[in-house]
Amino acid sequence: MRERKVTLLGPEGTNLSIFFLFLVFNFISWFTLFVLSEGIELNFNNILIRQIVFSLISIIVFFLITYISIENLQQYTDSLFAIITILLAVLLRTSPKAGVRRWFDLGPIDFQPSEFAKVITVLFIANYLTKRKSKYPLFLFLGLILFLILRQPDLGTSIIIGFVIFAIIFVSDIKIRYLVLIILLVFTFFFIFLESGLINENQLNRINDFFSTDEDFQQSQSKLLISSGSIFGQYFESNKVEKVFVPVETTDFIFAAYAYNFGFIGVLFILIMWLLFFFRLNQILNVSNSDFDKFVITGFVTLLAFQIIVNISTITGLLPLTGLPFPLLSLGGSSMVSTAIIFGITNRIFIENNLVI
Amino acid sequence: MFLRNRYNYLALLFISYFLFIIVNFFSLQILNINDSIDKIDQQTYDIFYLSAPRGEIYDTNKEKLVTSSLEPHLFINLRKINADNIDQYKQYLKYNFEELKNSDFEEIFNSREALYLIRNINDLDYLERQSLLELEAFEIFDYPIRQYNYGNIASHIIGYIGRPTLEEFEAYPDSRRNGLVGKSGVEKYYEEELSGIAGEIVFKGNEIIDFTTPQPGEDLYLTIDIRTQRIATESLLEGIKLANENFDSENIIQKGSIVVIDINSGEVISMVSLPDFDPNKFVKGISSFDFNQLNRIDAFNNFAIQGLYPPGSVFKIVAYWLAENEGLFPEGISTRNNRVKCEGNLSFSFTDGSQQVYNDWKQDGHGNVDLSSAIQQSCNVYFWDIALKIWRTYEGSSNESILQKYARNLGFGKITEIDLPYEKAGVVPDRELFEQWTITKPELVRPEGWLGGDLMNLIVGQGAITTTPIQVANAYKTLLTGYSSAPYFDKNKDDIEIVKNYDINDEFIEFLLNDLNLVTNKNGTAYYAFEVLGSKANDIGGKTGTAQNPGDKNSTSWFAGVDSISNPRYIIVTVVDEGGSGSAVAAPISRRVIQHLIGVDLTPVKFGEITE
Repeated sequence: MRERKVTLLGPEGTNLSIFFLFLVFNFISWFTLFVLSEGIELNFNNILIRQIVFSLISIIVFFLITYISIENLQQYTDSLFAIITILLAVLLRTSPKAGVRRWFDLGPIDFQPSEFAKVITVLFIANYLTKRKSKYPLFLFLGLILFLILRQPDLGTSIIIGFVIFAIIFVSDIKIRYLVLIILLVFTFFFIFLESGLINENQLNRINDFFSTDEDFQQSQSKLLISSGSIFGQYFESNKVEKVFVPVETTDFIFAAYAYNFGFIGVLFILIMWLLFFFRLNQILNVSNSDFDKFVITGFVTLLAFQIIVNISTITGLLPLTGLPFPLLSLGGSSMVSTAIIFGITNRIFIENNLVI
Repeated sequence: MFLRNRYNYLALLFISYFLFIIVNFFSLQILNINDSIDKIDQQTYDIFYLSAPRGEIYDTNKEKLVTSSLEPHLFINLRKINADNIDQYKQYLKYNFEELKNSDFEEIFNSREALYLIRNINDLDYLERQSLLELEAFEIFDYPIRQYNYGNIASHIIGYIGRPTLEEFEAYPDSRRNGLVGKSGVEKYYEEELSGIAGEIVFKGNEIIDFTTPQPGEDLYLTIDIRTQRIATESLLEGIKLANENFDSENIIQKGSIVVIDINSGEVISMVSLPDFDPNKFVKGISSFDFNQLNRIDAFNNFAIQGLYPPGSVFKIVAYWLAENEGLFPEGISTRNNRVKCEGNLSFSFTDGSQQVYNDWKQDGHGNVDLSSAIQQSCNVYFWDIALKIWRTYEGSSNESILQKYARNLGFGKITEIDLPYEKAGVVPDRELFEQWTITKPELVRPEGWLGGDLMNLIVGQGAITTTPIQVANAYKTLLTGYSSAPYFDKNKDDIEIVKNYDINDEFIEFLLNDLNLVTNKNGTAYYAFEVLGSKANDIGGKTGTAQNPGDKNSTSWFAGVDSISNPRYIIVTVVDEGGSGSAVAAPISRRVIQHLIGVDLTPVKFGEITE
């Protein structure tokens, strides 16, 4: 156990900038869903109430996670990885909902294990690279988890986990020629999947549509929605621009709705907040002596930045639709809680390195 | 080992992409704003809405009462029909679907809708469906079919659906897109939960470019038991048939109602109203002939909550409660066990010197009666005596309306707030109401206003008072438990407000149960109706009522009862409009339902003894 300074919030301490940014992102999501929800009804079906409940849970999770020391976390990483692999395997045996097996139905909420698989995979690789010399068995485990998620099928999450794996291994001392080899292997793997028909037809269609000359309807509409937000957003306008069709505004397309309501100023604000967060994480790379800390931070930065980048790229028509949530903004309990875990672990890493502001 | 310089490459990648995003949004939101607004103005998308399947409805044993199933339907995209190909499509439809008539073709091809539903193609196999899709104007979408599995049974509880009116568009925004809305029963009351969200088919010109699937509505679990409902319906029909055979009524007897509620929870176990209808007829659109025919016999009225009847002697329990609680007994006696002599009529004089004679239904009188036997034999004289006492003691003071206060306390004169639409409140008359009526409805009241005779009428449930069967059932429930709450159908209802009534104690409940029990036993008015139960009748209780109606209308037949004295579980109330006599008609109908509730063999409804 490393020695720590006394800090302000919570018995284990808190890094104020991490906690502050976490709250800012939560409040942005409350306000966005307040704007999107039509009237406040006090029941769990109301999207605002739902998000506030998830958000409060995620703040509790943030503090609970802070209790777990990095040492313990490292100890349990392998078991957690085993558990999430089993859960993902069990999930494939349930009956599909809307053609995919992505959620466990737990009454009022749906539990999405792949959201947690992202976080656990980061911890698992970080731990593996810190403790073991031979890197080859690692690829076997990672291949398995990617396979299970691809089978749901969930192309978006598979790609993001694939990229996170790549990023963490990239910053380790692996030789660049091996990295090139891995990339080639992944592509071969992907095309074998394509050929054997293991990728959902819907997702293929989306990719095909994307490369065809016709613009995707949903994407063209979401671009118009974003554009009509202008500088200050339509929320404060009395004569709103309407007649735009956007599906599922509260999940994958929520950033389009955000941009529509709060305009370029709003977009700038949220992106700058996220950049601030990522810059803050650089401190660990400068201060910490532990490679585990650094690998984990690399993984988390990649995970969050890549999700934001892919989400924004799909809604502006730069990438085909994949269905990835925007962290801490899209409505969804599993995504909120898994992001809270990321913030909680980050917070713990900060206080173990005696960084409190 | 962690390599910092490689991380820097990664960070550089992310930062540049973030900057690119910011530039992209700057261009979208600031540089191209006018282009976008022009584009939005020029968008010529149209949306066709595809009905969502409504939630399904179950009874208390999870038996499915209403089914919603999605079946493939053939639609035609009329924007792709032009002068060149119209005949080809007509020929094709004629050849393949012989049941389509020329008038159907006119309707289809003259419609202004972008999409028109031609028919259910559930009966076609896969290849036949595929061959339809080879014609470019044909589209296949899943379309919901609603089916009421029990037809007429429980039709007033479930209600029916139909095309929304302008007011309903406003009240239920989803109904405009679904094209359907609940018109009565729980279909209306729980419209928002049941309706679901319609799917959207987006057209650009004549091409369908986007489609979102409809989201089904929530399922509804009811408190009713469909077996009890079926037996209650049969029993009421049998009883009505017997009443028609035995009475020489001016009008055909055909209206009636039964309500069964759970005495502890207020759950409605069964609610019958006759005549009834088959909600399935509304699914494809009812013909105006059928509709008018049903409407003429008031088949769409749920008499259990909308039928307003004078309650007659079932109302005597209000005075019974008042007498016990206030110690207000007939002149000269002061406890429930003291007796007065009933000679078959009551003659008395008012302060103005006028002399009145009131005749009981039993002309030679009931002999010496106390409170118990007054209920058992439904002796009017005893209760008139109480009314006289109230009048003579309190006339003109605020306590003059003490009987009305007790009645309102039991829920008379206001709706029970049951979860069904269009419930009626009925009327508990008093001096104020009569004063209003002298202005608004002068034909209903005498110019003198509220008199002692009106109070005497009221105490035996006659005169201007009107009640619904559900009100009577709920009043009995309150008096037999000490708690009042709204009856309900939604099994998952979670906002049930229960109010304790501190004027009802356990000793009183015991007295009332025992006295109701006397009614179904020897010397009671319902003895003959319950005789067939033998010793089982010892545990049952009830009260008969025969309420006279103005004009040549036959009396309303009432029975209000409880399935068990030792362990009360259900309240049952039966009303037969113009049924003539409570003990002869409503009591034996109720008896058959109680047989089912307590699990003994059913025996046919038998015409009872005419008392009252």
